[in-house]
Amino acid sequence: MRRAVLPAILLLSAAPLAAARQTVSQILGLRLGMSYDQAHSRLKEIGQFKSEDEGQQVWILSHDQRYQYAIVGFDRSRHVRYITVLARPEGRPVSYSDVGDLANATRSGGPGNLRYTWKAHDEIGGFEYFVIAKGKNLRYLDRFAVKRLEVENETEDRDLEAHP
Amino acid sequence: MQSGIILALAGFCFATLVFAATPSSSTLNPVNGSSATWAGSGIAGATTDETTCVDGTDCDVYTVTLTGSPANYKGLVLAISISHQVSLNDYDLYVHKGGLTGPVIASSTNGIPETSEAVVIDPTVSGTGVYTVHVVDSNVAPGDPYSGVAAITTPPADSPAHGTAPTYANYQSPPGLGDSSGEPSIGANFNSGRIMTQAVFDTLQVTFNTNTSPATATWLLKDGPNTNITTLDPILFTDSHTGRTIVSQLFGTTSLSAFTDNDGETYTVSQGGGIASGVDHETVGGGPFRLCTADQLLVTPVPCAQLAVRGPLSQYPHAVYYASQDIGDAEMALSQDGGLTYEEAHPMYTLVDCGGLHGHIKVSSSGIVYVPNKSCGSTQGLIVSMDNGLTFAVQPVTGSTPNSSDPSIGIGSKGRVYFGYVAGDGHPHITVSDDQGRSWHNDLDVGVPFSIRNTVFPEVVAGDNDRASFFFLGTPSAGAGTGADTGPAPFDGVWHGYIATTYNGGRTWFTVDATPSDPVQLGVICTQGTTCPNGTRNLLDFNDITVDKVGRVFTAYTDGCITAACIAKGNNPTASHTRLDNDQATKATIIRQSTGLGLFKSQDSTRLQP
Repeated sequence: MRRAVLPAILLLSAAPLAAARQTVSQILGLRLGMSYDQAHSRLKEIGQFKSEDEGQQVWILSHDQRYQYAIVGFDRSRHVRYITVLARPEGRPVSYSDVGDLANATRSGGPGNLRYTWKAHDEIGGFEYFVIAKGKNLRYLDRFAVKRLEVENETEDRDLEAHP
Repeated sequence: MQSGIILALAGFCFATLVFAATPSSSTLNPVNGSSATWAGSGIAGATTDETTCVDGTDCDVYTVTLTGSPANYKGLVLAISISHQVSLNDYDLYVHKGGLTGPVIASSTNGIPETSEAVVIDPTVSGTGVYTVHVVDSNVAPGDPYSGVAAITTPPADSPAHGTAPTYANYQSPPGLGDSSGEPSIGANFNSGRIMTQAVFDTLQVTFNTNTSPATATWLLKDGPNTNITTLDPILFTDSHTGRTIVSQLFGTTSLSAFTDNDGETYTVSQGGGIASGVDHETVGGGPFRLCTADQLLVTPVPCAQLAVRGPLSQYPHAVYYASQDIGDAEMALSQDGGLTYEEAHPMYTLVDCGGLHGHIKVSSSGIVYVPNKSCGSTQGLIVSMDNGLTFAVQPVTGSTPNSSDPSIGIGSKGRVYFGYVAGDGHPHITVSDDQGRSWHNDLDVGVPFSIRNTVFPEVVAGDNDRASFFFLGTPSAGAGTGADTGPAPFDGVWHGYIATTYNGGRTWFTVDATPSDPVQLGVICTQGTTCPNGTRNLLDFNDITVDKVGRVFTAYTDGCITAACIAKGNNPTASHTRLDNDQATKATIIRQSTGLGLFKSQDSTRLQP
């Protein structure tokens, strides 16, 4: 399927896998909870702004061999609420195990629609976050996302009401 | 593998060409009177729409080539028609530019008892060269072959919408019911004749007593066991044909959902949805599974078998779909057991393709799944699945411009898609596709009769292929009527509910003010989501529309202006009409069609009574 499987395997084998597993709340230098200005500063270093929709921004990544797009969602206080990266077609493939310890992940779906999900704790920020890696391929992911949990006033709380 | 299914199924019509028409082609010149005739094969068959026919088995192909350049046809048109004898048979006519994979630029899909179909094409717009005429057996018994004529002639005179416009009556929910009723959904149970509606917490069963005229309404609270506790987004969907109503409340990373087969008397709690982290703007829809016809099964058994894997797994015959925005994308999950459980959701698109929020799911009679989107690049978009929600294509709605209100679609009985949307300039538009969103035509501003300059909440329903109704809130006041109202002076405008109806496939529309003496809102209706200031978003994000068994149209809307003082201001053109004059109410209200033709021609002989 992917043309660059062999070179990618070589590259992956040289990567510090253990380190990658420890830093999933940070993708490409973007961290959950990061301020809008900090996130923009980093995004401008690594890509070009493409579009925005209801507090969610799409950036085209300029030089990353693994990911083509970064989608960053901000909460009402303009801090990073979620980060999603989309794999670059024909780019360097990223295996699911590159982004976390799958031993504790929930695997769902199957061939053509596989996903791993798990929760983790950000020691620095002191918050819980949700991790999702999904793809059609059984080994390599198409999308990788981290999302901060229990954020007040996040975009999705659009019509929140509780019954009296 | 999945793309292989789609290609193979698409190939039913497009690859296995058997030119059964006699002759199979003609060439016409840019001269008034240039013409050709052909005879159909006389083969019999039945299909749900053009995508389910097999050429040489239940549809015919005839090719017309126009010589010269488009400019040569100034003042001329290409008129194509077919006719047959038996009024119990039903042929349909589609004309593609180029081959059968080209766009459908004209179609005629009258039903029984019509014995002819006709289209008129302007070559100065559509061009010269090859046109492929596709004649489809919608429901044809043996022994009634059709005959066809293609001719260059002068254009027919423009004909505005003729006949009588429908009329409507408003029914407000009684005190204590539907008092907190933002973003309502509505559905019609064809089996019981009842209407189901839900907004925020209240799920309401509405029965109209037609023994009196005007009819009276009885409203009963029929909450689901788990859908009146908390809400992020409320949704109700009624499958009119099966009578099942699904109620759902978005709940963080899942939804609380239940379904009822008796209009809310009893419920079954369901899984909710198939998305592990669905976060916003949920929608539920359903309809027939996309399965092969017997003819298709003979031609392409392998992809048909792959489709069947995603067919029904229980006694419940229809598919149910759940979709929501997710983290950077939007996903949809199929339920093969009537909404009891859902599969793992499949990505529909990412935010690279379209905005994350989307409109509501609709399913065609042949099982094609559609989700409209207000912003896919430089246009609005339509997400399409031809394989029961396994894979998706994003089709741009050419000619449209993005806006902040979610668009809506209605699907005619033979697959015609009506896409109602708010254009970038705030005007209410509707456009039509006969090829699953690959091309669009008859894009019209239906707000012109009332000089509508600001529009929100477009909602569309269709019945017969040629009939559809388009409900929207509109105001003739220009300016930032859908913004945050932070300007030096608050927006001044009176909003009414309008319903535009077509009986000729979207060529012309009757537009009616359905709330003529009772404004829906004064001042701004903010469509900027959670960034809207307090007092600007009482109506939330959408309304809804449906049609009952006899073709009568119903809409559900939230009334923000319900006191006598507010209504009086709205009816006084010299009064102030800002949000400071509005009630900021959220009262559940239903519009019911009183008179006029409904959306099903088969019911025309029984005139609607108020």
